Amino acid sequence: MSLTVNRRHFLSLAAAGASLPLTSRIAFGQTSPFTMQAAWINDAEFAGYFLAIDRGYYADEALDLTYLSGGPDVIPESTLVAGRADLALTTPDTTIKAITDQGAPFKIVGAQYQKNPIGIVSLASNPITSPQDLVGKTLAVPPVNVISVEAMLAINGIERSAVNIVPYAYDPTPLIQGEIDASLDFTTNVPYTIAQAGAEATSFLLYDFGFTIYNDTVVVTQEALAEKRDQIVAFLRASRRGWEENFADPDYVPSIADTWFAGTGRSIENEVYFNQAQQPLMETPNGIFSMSEEDIEANIEAMAAVGITATREMFDTTLLEEI
Amino acid sequence: MATDRMPGWVRGLLYTLALLVLWEGVGQLRLVAGGALPPPTAIALRLFADWADYPNHILATIQGASIGFVIGNAIALAAGVLFVLFPVTSRVARGLNVAIYALPPIAISPILVLTLSGMAPRVVLAAIGCYFVTMTATVVGLSQTDARAVDVVKAYGGSKWAVLRLVQWRSALPSILSGLRIAAPNAVLGAILAEFGGGGRWGLGVYLLGSLGRGEPDRLWGIGLMATAIAAFAYLAFAVAANAITGTTQAVTVPSSVAKAADRDRPVWQNATIAAASVALPFGVWMLLIWALGVPAMLAKSPAGLFEYLFLMPNSPVAQERLLAALAQTLPMTLIGMVAGLAMALGLALASQIYPAIVRAFMPIALVTQTMPLVALTPLLVLMLGRGYSLILWVTISVTFFPAFVTMAQGLILVPRAALEVPRAYGAGILTQLRLVSLPASLPYLFAATRLTVPRALLGVMIAEWLATGTGLGNLLNQSRGYLDYGMIWTVAVVSVLISVAFYQIVVVVEHRVLDRLGMASTN
Amino acid sequence: MTKGSGITLDRVSRNFDSRGRRVEALREVSLACPPGSLTALIGPSGCGKSTILRLCLGLDTPSSGSLALNGLSPADATRAGMTGVAFQDAALLPWRSVQANVALPLDVLGHSVSAHASKIAELLDLVGLKGFEKSLPGELSGGMRQRVAIARALVTAPEVLFLDEPFGALDQILRRQMNIELQRIWMETGATTLLVTHGIDEAVFLADRIIVMASRPGRIAKIIDVDLPRPRDRSMFGDPRFHALEREIAEALDGH
Repeated sequence: MSLTVNRRHFLSLAAAGASLPLTSRIAFGQTSPFTMQAAWINDAEFAGYFLAIDRGYYADEALDLTYLSGGPDVIPESTLVAGRADLALTTPDTTIKAITDQGAPFKIVGAQYQKNPIGIVSLASNPITSPQDLVGKTLAVPPVNVISVEAMLAINGIERSAVNIVPYAYDPTPLIQGEIDASLDFTTNVPYTIAQAGAEATSFLLYDFGFTIYNDTVVVTQEALAEKRDQIVAFLRASRRGWEENFADPDYVPSIADTWFAGTGRSIENEVYFNQAQQPLMETPNGIFSMSEEDIEANIEAMAAVGITATREMFDTTLLEEI
Repeated sequence: MATDRMPGWVRGLLYTLALLVLWEGVGQLRLVAGGALPPPTAIALRLFADWADYPNHILATIQGASIGFVIGNAIALAAGVLFVLFPVTSRVARGLNVAIYALPPIAISPILVLTLSGMAPRVVLAAIGCYFVTMTATVVGLSQTDARAVDVVKAYGGSKWAVLRLVQWRSALPSILSGLRIAAPNAVLGAILAEFGGGGRWGLGVYLLGSLGRGEPDRLWGIGLMATAIAAFAYLAFAVAANAITGTTQAVTVPSSVAKAADRDRPVWQNATIAAASVALPFGVWMLLIWALGVPAMLAKSPAGLFEYLFLMPNSPVAQERLLAALAQTLPMTLIGMVAGLAMALGLALASQIYPAIVRAFMPIALVTQTMPLVALTPLLVLMLGRGYSLILWVTISVTFFPAFVTMAQGLILVPRAALEVPRAYGAGILTQLRLVSLPASLPYLFAATRLTVPRALLGVMIAEWLATGTGLGNLLNQSRGYLDYGMIWTVAVVSVLISVAFYQIVVVVEHRVLDRLGMASTN
Repeated sequence: MTKGSGITLDRVSRNFDSRGRRVEALREVSLACPPGSLTALIGPSGCGKSTILRLCLGLDTPSSGSLALNGLSPADATRAGMTGVAFQDAALLPWRSVQANVALPLDVLGHSVSAHASKIAELLDLVGLKGFEKSLPGELSGGMRQRVAIARALVTAPEVLFLDEPFGALDQILRRQMNIELQRIWMETGATTLLVTHGIDEAVFLADRIIVMASRPGRIAKIIDVDLPRPRDRSMFGDPRFHALEREIAEALDGH
């Protein structure tokens, strides 16, 4: 083990010479370092964490948080396995597949989205409002999400071959131009873009048609759970505080246009729309990140539809109780 | 014709202007893909409006690309010199060299992001983009030196090093510079690819990713053209340097080709050892890197781990079936794409001899195809070409033709003047001259170009599959990432490298047969 | 004035194997060129005369037999700066000026170029290229390039000089003129010289001794001594003794 650490140390030194600040570090006196891996580039999806960093909530919990942005090539689960982060935001289906197929030592300790924001987005002029409408249509799906669509189709009794699934490369132009009939994307996000382009969007959540899973599940390794339990609870506590305050303070997201969102290429109006749209998908009477027994059961059932065998043991709700 | 009296560059400029006007008209009238091709003025206005966003992104991209460019080319130059001075090393390293060239960036980017931090993935991807072209150009340049000049130095007891210092490096300069010229856009694109996937805050790739979701082609084109401008600047710098010295490099007279005393007496067992070493080396480096990076076995598959995944696990038959199905979709397109890319390159290279001004006007477009991240063009391409074979072909041609074209054009330029004058003396037109002298004389370069094209064809097809068609190896790779199927990720990467190396090796064999029969020396 | 033992070849053979066939470029050739002499090698293409020269320069190694230049092996002699060479093609480096091309052997041998500046100027004057010091080879005529090559061959003040058809590419008039100049230069330097040539008149005009070679296998057919007085001038080309020697060589070349 120590050999691994030394090699890593050597390589990070070698890389340090050429590194730009990719991470934001908030340093305070007696704090423990803690690294989180986000699921995507900086957008409103992570506004609660940004607020908690900006207002020192992690520091209040004695955490020195390093925030790692995500991207298309960043597989958050891999970052955990490689030991480069203590905690990651993931999609639950891939996480559980990693546990069952690869024996990855993960535990899901919380869920940011009670309802997965992923949905089927189409134009109001050529509306697709239910899975049945997809038959015979062309649907663009990011290849990493094909598994979710297959699950939703299976749950609704639709043949996989009845839908023409093509890759989706994050650009809604083909949808707006009618080259494809629908795309799979965050419903909290794309409808805004489509409206900007002068069209009207309609969408439905996979969640509402039986694919009842969380998203941005909070995942840690069993090793971290054993060694850093207090810090993980502290992280959840500070993050929940950040999210609650973010939803209570509509001025926060616009205020970070030139800090967290600087240079992302997205417009601040888009982030405001996103932030409002995601609120109902995240809020729950038991507090942000909660995982109720019924919802966990629903997740397990939904995943069973595509042959992913999730079990209750993969979810650990005891940390939430300590918040 | 009046245009005949204009200097070449004026005509080139006129053609470029004509192209711009045409583009503007097409864009304004929304003739292509319902307006997915924005007019140049819209792109310029948008660039102006977004300008405040750019400086940080540009700086980050230039930083990553130029560090990678320097490191990659330094290694490439050193390796090229080593290969020429000690030819055995070149044969031992051949497998590794081709493997590096054939590494699909879309497959290794996630692995790099996983194992390195900060700027390192960008630097590595940029450096990998430079290594092979510059190394090849160095070897070609050093080994195509005028043998008579080498004899003069050796006649005074000059060592290999003296020959290198006094004759070879200087006569290789144009070739090296043309290598650097191709390497520059590669470095920029490599850095941008790593930025796109790697989750940093700055870099044109990051900006592109954030901008994709807006569905605004003028923004995407602005970012792509900015990347092009950076690459074009480097490209032009090397092109100007190469032009300045080519005239004083070309041999003044025709070398009476003295057939090199070929090294054919090597015993069979030695050849076999070298071939085995060449195959073993990439695997050795692969295992060494996994060890050095300390990546957990779950993520990083060793050759043994991959064998287990493909043949010994309960799921192995399924994995094999998926792999074979993907190969059946990808391989035929790769062969077609290879031929199309080469044809395009040869056509352009010949046209550059016959209609130099038109080709010069085409160069900006050619450069755009090399530096414009394909993901930014995907909506346009999909809208224009659909998601079928024509799109795969288009992407493959655009990924392959450029290095081949530059290499071929270089070969045609270096044909000795005196040799061209023989057919001209008999009243031959330019076409006869090309057929009788230029093409045969530059045959070693044509083969070098083929070697450059062949491994990239597979890459082109995989990118198209990944971005648009959702078929074949490219799609298999991307879906495997979604399933965290590390075994399949590595399988696709390794299989694609093996196929590319196999194609490359076939070209090498054909090349040696043909050139031997013609009594010419290979550039390899 | 000259020291050493000149050029000696002792039963030198050189075979080339290609595509399963063996070509005997030289078979058991023995030859001794005394110090200070000028020996011409003449013969049909493929008789091995250029091979002898390449062997003497260490550019190639014999299959059997041995060679010596002033008692040293070719490799040692060339490395000691004892030799000079001019090839049929000037083989100038196109990016070096006339001056820098002449200085090339100095660079190879690690001698100071600046210390030889006046020597280089003198040589360029000797070959009639004064005023062209800074020109590039591409800007010169064929004859001028060849004269640069001669100057380059002389820059190390060689004790042994090899000339491989140095004027092969020049026209007859220029060639005769160059022959006269070469004789003058050679007499000034006193170098032991081996001249490979196609030209019968050139061989007779310049050489003390002419080695007529035959091919398949490459071997010495006849040795003809030339005892014409030196310096030989232009009128020598019309001398009856000159014509007699020319006829003798031509007959030897025809196999008589």
